[in-house]
Amino acid sequence: MPDMLRLDPLAFLRNPRNKKTVTVPSETRYIRKVSTRILDALAGFALDEGRVFDVRLCVEEAVRNAIVHGNHSDRRLSVRVTYWIEDSKLFIEVEDEGSGYDHNALADPTTGAHITKNSGRGVYLIKKLMDRVSYNDTGNRIMMVKNLS
Amino acid sequence: MSVKIENKNGLSVFHVDGEMDINSSPGIKKSFDKLLSARTPKVIINLSKVTYVDSSGLATLVEILKNMRSYGGKLRLSNLSAKVRSLFEITKLEKLFEIIANEEEAVSTF
Repeated sequence: MPDMLRLDPLAFLRNPRNKKTVTVPSETRYIRKVSTRILDALAGFALDEGRVFDVRLCVEEAVRNAIVHGNHSDRRLSVRVTYWIEDSKLFIEVEDEGSGYDHNALADPTTGAHITKNSGRGVYLIKKLMDRVSYNDTGNRIMMVKNLS
Repeated sequence: MSVKIENKNGLSVFHVDGEMDINSSPGIKKSFDKLLSARTPKVIINLSKVTYVDSSGLATLVEILKNMRSYGGKLRLSNLSAKVRSLFEITKLEKLFEIIANEEEAVSTF
C-alpha cells in the first residue's frame, strides 16, 4: 500500500473520483444503515457532536423522504445514496425512483397553521442545517453539502 | 426507546429514553395513548435521555400536544439537550410548546 494511503485512511473519500454509493430498498428500517455508513466515513474528521447530529438528521430525512414520498414505500424500488468528500466538504446525493416533486412548492412549516401540522419539517430542516442544498430538474434527487471545517 | 411514567405532585411525568425517529415514533405514540384517553390534565415530558430527534419525533410531540389541548390538558417539555432545543428553535416549535429548563422547575411552577 502506498505511504500516502497509510497516512490518510480517508484518502479514498477525499478523492471525488472515488464516490461511495449505498443502495437500499424502500423500507424505513434501512434509513439508519445509510446514515451509519456515512457517519462511519466521517469518524476520522473529529467533528463536534452538533455537526454529526446535523449530518445524520439530514441524511435520514432525505432518505426517509425518498422512501416514503418518492418511492411511496414500494419495496421493489430503491433509494441510491452517493457520498464523497472534496475540499473539506461532505457531498451527499439521495435519489429515488419516483417522479419527483417541486421542493419550492412546499409550505413553510414555521408559519401560520402549518406549525401545528404533523408533517412537512424534513426538507425545511435539511435546508437549515446543510450548507448547500439543490435538486435535479425532475425533483427526485437532492444534493446536500456540509462543510467539515 | 422506552417511556416511563411517574406521578409527581398530581402530575404525570413521562421520561423518554432513547431516540425519537420514524421507527420509534409509533411506539412513543402508543405509550401516550392511555394518557390521552384518560384526559390527563397536566403532563411533563422529560427529554433528558433523548439523544436524537428527527421530524417524526417532532411531529409526534406536536400530535400529543394537539390531542391534549383538544380536551384542555396542559403539556410541558423539560430537560432538552442543547441540540434538541435548537431543533425547536429552528422549526419555531418553541413558540408552540412550553419548554422548561428542568423537571423540578416544571413541576413546581405548574
